[in-house]
Amino acid sequence: MLAATGRLIIQACEEAGRTLRLLVAALLYIRVIHRSHKQLVRQLDHAGFGSIVVLSLVAGLTGMILAMQMGTELERYGALDSLGAIIGATFCREMGPIWAAIIVLARVGSSMAAELGTMVVNEEVEALKIMSIDPVRYLAMPRIVALIIAMPLLTTMADVVGIAGGAFVSHSLYGLPYDKFILSAQSLLTSTDFFSGLFKSMVFAAIIGAVACDRGLHTKGGAEGVGKATTVSVMLNVLFVLVGDYMLTAIIQFLTRAEII
Amino acid sequence: MTDSQQPLAKEWTKEEMEQAVDMPPVPEDKEIFVRIRNLHKRFGPRHILRGIDLDVYKGETLVVLGVSGSGKSTFFKHLMGTHTIDEGTVEVGGRHLDHLSTDEWGAYRQDLGVIFQMAALLGSLTVLENVGLPLIEVERAPTEEIRERVIEALHRVFLPAEEILSLRPDELSGGMRKRVGIARAIIQNPRLILYDEPTTGLDPVTVSGVNELTLELQKTLGVTSLVITHDMEAAFTIADHIAFLYNGRIVAYGTVDEIRANEHPVLRQLLTGSTTGPLTEDYVK
Repeated sequence: MLAATGRLIIQACEEAGRTLRLLVAALLYIRVIHRSHKQLVRQLDHAGFGSIVVLSLVAGLTGMILAMQMGTELERYGALDSLGAIIGATFCREMGPIWAAIIVLARVGSSMAAELGTMVVNEEVEALKIMSIDPVRYLAMPRIVALIIAMPLLTTMADVVGIAGGAFVSHSLYGLPYDKFILSAQSLLTSTDFFSGLFKSMVFAAIIGAVACDRGLHTKGGAEGVGKATTVSVMLNVLFVLVGDYMLTAIIQFLTRAEII
Repeated sequence: MTDSQQPLAKEWTKEEMEQAVDMPPVPEDKEIFVRIRNLHKRFGPRHILRGIDLDVYKGETLVVLGVSGSGKSTFFKHLMGTHTIDEGTVEVGGRHLDHLSTDEWGAYRQDLGVIFQMAALLGSLTVLENVGLPLIEVERAPTEEIRERVIEALHRVFLPAEEILSLRPDELSGGMRKRVGIARAIIQNPRLILYDEPTTGLDPVTVSGVNELTLELQKTLGVTSLVITHDMEAAFTIADHIAFLYNGRIVAYGTVDEIRANEHPVLRQLLTGSTTGPLTEDYVK
C-alpha cells in the first residue's frame, strides 16, 4: 500500500515535470512563431471565437443569478447600492477568469488532448519526428500561445457580460438604476482588480495548454487511450486551475496589502 | 493431401526454432547499406529484440516477415530513430545510429523516407502541405520550389497532382492516401525507405499498384528499401531478400526462392497459412 502510494507520487511528480518541460520548451519556441502563423490563426479561431457564445451565456447567467441572490440579502439591510461593487469585484477578480478557464479547458483543452492523441495513434506525430519536426514546436506551441492570447480577451468579455447581466437583474428586479450600479462598481474596482484577473487568465491558459498538449502527445493505446487522455486532461486542468487560482489570489492579496501598508 | 495437412519433416525444438541465422558473406558485387549487429531491446522485463544481426545491400529491397508480436515494429523504430538502442550496433550508410548528435540525426532523417501503415498524413493540411511538409518546415524552401517538387513527387507515384493538391486526406481514397504518403517519403530523395506494412487494408488492385510502385521507385531512384509486412504475395513480389523475425531474432534469411524452400516450421506455417503448427500450438493446448 505504502509502496503503491509512493509509486503514484513519483509518477505524478514525473508527469508534472514533463508537463512543465513541455511548457518551457513551447514558450522558448515563441521566437520562431512566425513559422506557425497559419496554425496560430486556426487555433485562435478555435479557442477564441469558438468560445464566445458559450462563455457569454455562462457569464451573463452567472451575473444575473449573483445579482438575484445578493440583491435579496442586500435589500434587507438597505445596502442595495453596493450590488454593482460586489458583482463587479466578483467578476473581475474571480468569476471572469475562472469561467473563461473552465469553458476553455472543457471545450478547447479537451479537444486539443483528443486531437493530439488521435494524431499519436495515427502515427502523425511519429511522422513529424521522423521529418525532424519537433511536435512541441509544430503542434504544442501554437496551441499554447493561442490560448495565452485568447484567454485575457475572453476574460474581459466574461467580465463585461457578467456585470451587464448583473446590472440587468438589479434594474429589472430591484429597480436599481444602471448608472448607480456602474458607479457602485467603479467605486470599489481598481485597475489592479482588472489586470490581476487578466494575469490569472494568462496563467490558466498556459496551464490548460500545457496539460492538454502533454496528455495528448503522450497518449498510449488506441481509441481508449485517446478517451483516457482527454478525460485526464480535463480532470487535471480543473484541479490545476483551481489550485493555481488559490495560489495566485493569495499572492495578489499579499502584494496589494503590502502596497497599501 | 493438402499442403497444410502435410506432416513436418523434422521435429524442431524451441531452441532450434529461435536459433538466429548468420548473415552470409557479402557477394563481391554488393555493398552493405544497413548493417545491424547484436541488436537488443528490453521494455522492463520484456526482452523484445534478442540479438538481431541483419545486412541490407545497397539498392535492394529487404522484406522483414514476422508474426504479430515478433518485434518487427520495435526493430523498425530503431531505424527510424524513435527507439534508443539498448545494446548492439545499427549502421546505415556509414552512420552509426547509436552515436549520432542532434544535427547528425537531422541529416540522417533527410536521407530517410518512411511509409506508414495508415499513411500518417496530417488531417488539417492539404495534399500540397502534407507532401511539402519537410520542405516547408525543415528545408524552408521557397513556395514556388515547394509546389514544383510536390507536383514532381506526386507524378512519380502516378497521382494527378494538379487535381488533388488542394484536397485534404479525408477527401482521398485509401490507395491515394497511401500514394500521397509515399510521395511525402520520397520528396527529399531519400537513400533508405522504410515501408511499414504498406499494403494493409487495401484492395487487391491497389495492393498490386503499391507493389509495382515499390519496384518502380527502387528502379528509378535506386534506393535501398526495408519493408515489414504480413502480406506474403507482396513480399515475394518486391523482395530481393527476405528475413524472418521470430521471438526477437532473425531465424531465416535468403532470397525469395531460398525462403520458399526454408524448412523452419514457424515460417512454413506462416507461408502456408496452416492452423496447425508451432504458432497455434498454445491455442490447441
